[in-house]
Amino acid sequence: MTITEKLSSGITIVELCGTIDASTAPELQRHQAISDPTRTIVIDLARLDFLDSSGLGAIIGAAHRKEESGANMLLSCMNQKVRRVFDITGTVRLFHIFDETAAAIDYATTLRKSQ
Amino acid sequence: MNSVITLTLPGDIRFTRLASQTASNTASLFTDTCNAGAGNWEFSHAFELAVSEAFTNAVNYGDRMQGTRDITITFTIEQRKLTVAIRDANAPFSAETPEPDIETYPERGYGLMLIRTLMDTVTICRENGENVITMTKQL
Repeated sequence: MTITEKLSSGITIVELCGTIDASTAPELQRHQAISDPTRTIVIDLARLDFLDSSGLGAIIGAAHRKEESGANMLLSCMNQKVRRVFDITGTVRLFHIFDETAAAIDYATTLRKSQ
Repeated sequence: MNSVITLTLPGDIRFTRLASQTASNTASLFTDTCNAGAGNWEFSHAFELAVSEAFTNAVNYGDRMQGTRDITITFTIEQRKLTVAIRDANAPFSAETPEPDIETYPERGYGLMLIRTLMDTVTICRENGENVITMTKQL
């Protein structure tokens, strides 16, 4: 797994690439932008090939902590395999999920202005 | 005639991806052999995900003992049916793990839910001092 971070319109975009399972989920949990509970981020999943429940748990945990701090985590560009994990577990309802990262950034910007 | 493929890996979380990729590749080979079409990604992904979850469970239970033991994965290819059995000689694994309360979106506990949803049949038992999870799916 590789994690790339960039800034767009003042919003942090975290791009995940490769595989997230039990062997790589701890690295995701430790990533600064993801673990910072006060930082609203967009996670771009376009290049994420595989996610299992360990990776899902890391994403859910970070989302909970951000929500408690008034921040948000938005998800974009899931492929079918990744989406299937969210659908089966019902966790698709926990997140704002966008087909395009640009739309997620727009929404995050709107959220920030309203806070 | 059935074909059997066996893979033995150290009970180490670093080998999770090797286990799940082998499952995906074996399922793809199976669907190709059955002329099920290259578009059958759901079948391959079901095995990729189920084996990732089961292997992780086996390793995590092993961590509770002194020293983690090898994990053996056996694929059995039959006519239009693929079976995978994962065996480990670690501490007994309980199949009675409750499903997560999805209303609260917990961080853990989705593994067996995924396995049971993706596979046609799932059995978990203790056999000859080993945990054995057997998962089957038909094309």
